Parts: sequence; C-alpha cells; structure tokens
Amino acid sequence: MNTPAAGQVCPPRRYAHSRVQLFRFSAVSWNAHRIHYDGEFAASEGFPDVVVQSTLHGEMLVRYALDWSGPDARLEGVSWRNRATAVAGEPLTWTATVAAVEPAAGGQRVSLDVSVFKDDGTACVTGTVELTRPDGPV
Amino acid sequence: MTTLEEVVTRARTLIGRWEAEDCGVLTVKEFCRYAAAVGDDAYVARARAREAAGEPVEAPPLFLAAMMSWEDGPGEDALRPDGLAARESPCTQGLPVRQVHGGQSVRLGRIPVAGARITASRAVVSADRKGGRSGAFVLLGVTTRFTSEDGRELMAVDETIVVLDGETAPREAAA
Repeated sequence: MNTPAAGQVCPPRRYAHSRVQLFRFSAVSWNAHRIHYDGEFAASEGFPDVVVQSTLHGEMLVRYALDWSGPDARLEGVSWRNRATAVAGEPLTWTATVAAVEPAAGGQRVSLDVSVFKDDGTACVTGTVELTRPDGPV
Repeated sequence: MTTLEEVVTRARTLIGRWEAEDCGVLTVKEFCRYAAAVGDDAYVARARAREAAGEPVEAPPLFLAAMMSWEDGPGEDALRPDGLAARESPCTQGLPVRQVHGGQSVRLGRIPVAGARITASRAVVSADRKGGRSGAFVLLGVTTRFTSEDGRELMAVDETIVVLDGETAPREAAA
C-alpha cells in the first residue's frame, strides 16, 4: 500500500462483458440501439458480436478507479473517448496511471489517466478520472 | 446537398436551443437495477439497508449520465431501423445515416438521492464536418445539464455523437 503519487501505476483489471450484461445495461439505460443486443444486426454493421455501450465503458472506468482509490473516494469527473469497438465476450484490460495528486478539502484530489485495451494492444477507450479521497495509502 | 451537409445544416439551426425534460422522481429500485446490471451487488445491499433505516440513498455516480432517454416511449414503430429514437439521433430524422458515440465528459456536482425530482436540459452545442480513417463524418456536440427542483446543478454531461453517411461509410466504422 502506497500513498498515491504522480506516475504510480494502478494494478490492471481484466474483464469481459457478457451479452446478458450488455442487454441488461441497455434495458436499464433505455438504450434501444440494436448493436448492443441484436447479434444479427451487429453482424450486419460489421461487428463480430454485440457492441459494448460507450456509457458502460465510462461506468466501468469509474468503478475501476473508485475501487482502486478506496471506500471513501468520491468521483468528481470523468471523460473518455471511444477509439475502437469492443464486443461481448472480448477480454479487456483496464489500466490507470496517477497523473496528478493535489491537496483538497478533507484529503487529496487525484487525477488518473485511464485506458481500456484489447488483448492485441489496441486501445478501446482512453480518458481521465478525477476523484477526491482522504489522505492515506491505497 | 449531401446527407452529411444536411445534418450539419439542421444541427446548426438547433445550436443553443435548450430543451428541458422531466426525468421524474428517482427511485431506489432504478438505482438498484442499474447497479445490478453493472455487477455491483454490494451497492444493492447497501442501498436497501439505507432505505430501510430511513437514510438518504445516493444514486450510483454515473446513473444520470448513462440514461439514453427519460421519455416514456417511443413505441417500437417509432424507432429507426437501428433501434434509436428520433430524440437520440438529433438532426438526422429521415436521413440514411449511422451514428456512434464518440465519448463523454461528465462533471459531478451534488449526488442525487432517491426521491429527488430531476430535470435534464439538453442542447446541441456544435456541429462540424470532419474526416478520418472511416471517411467523412459529422461530429455533433450535445450538452445535458441535470438540475434538482431547487435549480442547483447536479451534473453536466458533454457528449459527442459521430454521424456517418449510411450509404457510403464503411461498415464497422468507429469514432
């Protein structure tokens, strides 16, 4: 356990979204775009399986960052850019590096550069997560 | 005029026109279903325990930002062939286009709690012709601001929507 410092690399996380998860996320977010739950339609668009939602990428980036930073961390902001399509069942790896740590009321403000990679090294998503957390190790 | 030129022309007439939408009163069930869908069973247990104890239940941090729409509908027959509703595809009604999400930037203020009535105000803020490895496309910028009944901002979301010509853009084109 270390106190966050710029340049610190967070432990990566591996995960694959299931088709069921993509369907349920579409349902709860009222997202009827067929590429997320209709495999035939996704294939007609050139995708090998149903496509991970952009908003689910954002959600997972935030959860990864908050899990790393500890139970009392609070999300301040997140931004991400979709660079390549990820599909159901595809193994993905979340990575993060601490970009900056600054004092903030009640603790510290931490900026993380975050990415999601495919197994071939292609970046699906890149972005930044900003959070505040109490002082102390992660 | 090409399809993408038409999209830009339409979008530019909408820039800066804010439309307010009632998101309704947020519920613990909505929060829990959302958390369950992303695999956060611990949130569900925590939220229900707080509710049972009469304590405020905060929404998952990106709950508001993740919602594609707060409308009751539309019915299936009003969806485009790709499943999107007209609202989710601004400026493209009746045009042969495809669209993908370019990305989002979310700034959080106060975290909403169950029982709060929320309003979403949304506007197209930019529309630009671009070119990339997938050919020409239009980049639409859309901003949504979520406010509580007292008018305080809870969250602001800037998103980009990539609009491709459905007849000429290669399949599997991504932003």
